[in-house]
Amino acid sequence: MKRRARAFGKILVANRGEIAVRVIRACRELGRSAVAVFSEADRAALHVLLADEAQPLGPSPAHESYLSVERVLAAARACGAEAVHPGYGFLAENARFARACEEAGLAFIGPRWQTIALLGEKTSARREAVAAGLPVVPGSLEALADEPSLRREAERVGYPVMLKAAAGGGGKGLRLVASAAELASALERARSEARGAFGDDRVYLEQALTRPRHVEIQVFGDGHGNVVQLFERECSIQRRHQKLIEESPSPFVTPGLRQQLGELAVALARRVGYVGAGTLEFLVDAERRPFFLEMNTRLQVEHAVTELVTGTDLVVAQILVAEGEALPFRQQELRQRGHAIECRVYAEDPAAGFLPSPGKILALRTPGGPGVRDDSGVYEGWTVPIDYDPLLSKLVVWAESREAAIRRMRRALGEYRVVGVRTTLPFLERSLADPAFAAGDFDTSFVERLCARAEPVGERPLALAVAVAAVRAFRQRQGSLAGQASADRGGSPWRLAGLREAHGGRLGGC
Amino acid sequence: MRFAATVADRRFRVDVRARSGGYVVTLDEQTLELDIVDVGGHCASLLVDGRSHEVGFERGDEGLRVQLAGGSFAVTLAGDTHQARAAEPGSGPQRITAPMPGRIVHVLVRAGELVRTGQGLIVIEAMKMENELRAPRSGQVSAIAVSQGTVVEAGALLAVID
Repeated sequence: MKRRARAFGKILVANRGEIAVRVIRACRELGRSAVAVFSEADRAALHVLLADEAQPLGPSPAHESYLSVERVLAAARACGAEAVHPGYGFLAENARFARACEEAGLAFIGPRWQTIALLGEKTSARREAVAAGLPVVPGSLEALADEPSLRREAERVGYPVMLKAAAGGGGKGLRLVASAAELASALERARSEARGAFGDDRVYLEQALTRPRHVEIQVFGDGHGNVVQLFERECSIQRRHQKLIEESPSPFVTPGLRQQLGELAVALARRVGYVGAGTLEFLVDAERRPFFLEMNTRLQVEHAVTELVTGTDLVVAQILVAEGEALPFRQQELRQRGHAIECRVYAEDPAAGFLPSPGKILALRTPGGPGVRDDSGVYEGWTVPIDYDPLLSKLVVWAESREAAIRRMRRALGEYRVVGVRTTLPFLERSLADPAFAAGDFDTSFVERLCARAEPVGERPLALAVAVAAVRAFRQRQGSLAGQASADRGGSPWRLAGLREAHGGRLGGC
Repeated sequence: MRFAATVADRRFRVDVRARSGGYVVTLDEQTLELDIVDVGGHCASLLVDGRSHEVGFERGDEGLRVQLAGGSFAVTLAGDTHQARAAEPGSGPQRITAPMPGRIVHVLVRAGELVRTGQGLIVIEAMKMENELRAPRSGQVSAIAVSQGTVVEAGALLAVID
């Protein structure tokens, strides 16, 4: 597995949005040339603006652009790239793509395609985990083809069950099924979503644990036989299996559990000869028993949380390892220092059931100051397209302790302004202000519980909002009256009178 | 200048007067003195009683949306051309409209079909998530305005239930 280290001259970043920006930044810091790819909707996206070069992929729908193996490879050929960084999502866990890169003489920045195939297929990953001695959530170890066999398996493990896409990840193609009556329609939705997201509609099922914690372990391997783990990330604050808030260390994980999780993660990574960055997701029940869920063979959205507490740069490490270097950090050097929290800013409306809210960003101001990092993929004036994931940005803070990190995050959220699209920002502020969050006393049902509680409307903000709206209407009336008056050089007396009335504030009957 | 304002299902009588560079706004019995300065096209700095507020605003379907630290409010002023949309579920034809821009991935019913409250009608996908739109009440589907693959804007008519 040993390779001679050779710096890539040019790296194609096969992604979009904030993660493409993140990878481009790492390339530029390393002195590697970064090539962006873009669909029609993304011609003027931030990742295109920040890249050294850019290659068009095709129409806006993902399957005709970012999900097209052929088009991404053609873009790499056209620009003479030596390596491809897939980011997360799209082709990041597509073994066919990783293999095609290898066959085209391109370095794929990630694990070997055989590893992706083995672990990316969720049921074979479960079988590998069992073989490596990891406890897994009860359920099927094979994808189940038809409804009757799913029904039998569901009855065997007992409802509620979780339907999962065998090719899955990122919460796509995932459905909770509370009872047998819901199975058919949930199966149809899960299949359809999985087909759209992964081009593969096979599903399997697992028992749904009640109120589990979602904890994951970052691992990293190189081509020299080194495998390290970079501790846990707490990811229990999620909605529809999309994470909203992550942190490290987890307030729930004891030193004993931390060591156990780390050892389990390294055991699986070693067993499969893992090279590159990867993440093992675990569900932990109320008795702090961990169950292996799946392994993501790519950079994780929330990787920045780990970077801040361990003082590492995981994207730089990915590139160096792909170039054949040994890992730039050793296990005994790695420590968790302080506390980091990430909040995901999505273009979704928390006041309307988190419906996607694409549109033009009319105004944007991101927070700054000590310990604040905003990994964004957008800018003021950018139109958020309907075609892709609604993640705008990840706001990440670091501080000495969890308490200080929460205070810092609340401060930073308060500075964040987005006008034009609805975002998850108000919901994130509410979450950070919640006593259960401050106490570290939460599980994967936190978001649902918070949403179920009515949000008290402040009298003062309400009054100010009405006052501001009224002043704007007042000014607009004045403006249009003034405009009419100056346009009308004859100076229609009644219009001028109207204008005087308006200025005097005596014009009634609006 | 007087307005009748509606916000969060509450009504206010509002009076606005200009005074020495600022504004005096009376809301029912409450009087506020506003010093307001635009910051770009969609934000403003607001000083009230010495307190500093940053305000964002945009025109929406439901009037002017005003965003400040304490929340985001859709304010409708009487006389405004943009009136709040009514159409609560009830009797009469029920229009099913797109809650967001997106792409129709499935049409689950046919025109003429009888549907029950809560039955799935149309699946719309935006940003990679599929959302099933359900019948707000029982009735007969009198029209389907879209088909699989149609790209729709927010508010676009999708179906009608009689």
